[in-house]
Amino acid sequence: MNDSTLPRTLLEEDSETLIADWLERLRARWHQQGAPGDDPVILSVHLNSLHAALCDALNEPRTTPFALDPESRLARELGELVHHQTRQGASAEEVTDLVSALKPLLMKRMEPMLHADPAAALPLWLWLDEVFERLLGFTFAAFIETRERIITQQSLSLLELSTPVLRLWHQVLLLPLVGVVDTARARHFTERLLESVARYEALVTIIDVTGVPVLDTSVARHLMKTIDAARLLGTRIVMTGISPEGAQTLTKLGISFSEVTARASLRAGIAEALSLIGRRIAPLEQARP
Amino acid sequence: MRIPILRLGRILLVSIQVDLTDTDAMQFQSDLVARVAEIEALGVAIDITALDVVDSYMARVINDTASMSRLLGAEVVICGVQPFVALTLVEMGRELLGADCAFNLDQGLEMLRERIAQRGDAELGEDDDAWPINN
Repeated sequence: MNDSTLPRTLLEEDSETLIADWLERLRARWHQQGAPGDDPVILSVHLNSLHAALCDALNEPRTTPFALDPESRLARELGELVHHQTRQGASAEEVTDLVSALKPLLMKRMEPMLHADPAAALPLWLWLDEVFERLLGFTFAAFIETRERIITQQSLSLLELSTPVLRLWHQVLLLPLVGVVDTARARHFTERLLESVARYEALVTIIDVTGVPVLDTSVARHLMKTIDAARLLGTRIVMTGISPEGAQTLTKLGISFSEVTARASLRAGIAEALSLIGRRIAPLEQARP
Repeated sequence: MRIPILRLGRILLVSIQVDLTDTDAMQFQSDLVARVAEIEALGVAIDITALDVVDSYMARVINDTASMSRLLGAEVVICGVQPFVALTLVEMGRELLGADCAFNLDQGLEMLRERIAQRGDAELGEDDDAWPINN
């Protein structure tokens, strides 16, 4: 047995059965974890190309320690498959199963070799073990990278979507805050609000915090900054939608928003804002002269 | 013991007539705040005519309750501060009772009504179906 090449019986011989077994094991594991899994046809296509790439990579002259070139075909194929699975919502366990399901199959194929010539087979065994460890590591890194990319994309789109400044009426703006108020979002909506206040010369700005889940010190500090900046431009602030719990927390933190007009609901806030610019909503009959 | 919270239209009226334990004071605070939010009260009158002694803790509870109610969109008036109470509060620091005060409940309600009348949402009913309070 040649030490530098991989025996054909291990990976290439009867590859259809190997891939079928691989797929079967994978689906069995995923089923056990209650994961819906992917379409078996698509998955089998992926596994086929992954298998081909693996054959290529392992037929190269053996290097110790085994190094996975990130530019290699194997790395690309594996990375793509992990990326695809992660986008489908696969968990870390499901993704690492992709690689770890193949290992026992190969080990089983090596068994006769170990019995026949343990001295020659053992180094190969150890080397294969190392290869799989590297592949698992790579898989996990790819999984995390994909997840992080998804998270960044989502927070960016959240930033864009959730902080509109609405023009409620002539010289009246509405800033409905929804979701967590962190430093990045606070700066974002403050900028947008100031821009709009300046453009529309708003006399009154309603800030609605009904959609903010927790009002704590940091949120209050961000809001204070926004309010102070807006007031410097000459707009009056009406705050609406503070919950009873929110009011209690704010007061216990010593924040009173004293320069702000607070109203219970957005409805009351709109009425207040309109009266501040000398208007009101009235039934049609009353309004007609 | 629980302090009863009375309702006069969109105004809430509480009268503290006995010295409260710390737990009772907190209970009173959260009860009142919850009620203000529930009916979207326009005004709150806290009457302390019957209190001869107000310690700094009680003063803070009243003051906090007032600012909480204000954050929920209600006008707040404290009525019936006794001369002796006023003296001790001033000695402890005037900011202990930051809310506006009225001589008695009658003047307190008058003050609330005046302020509510100036508000933009005074004519809004509690709900669209509700009878306007000024009628």
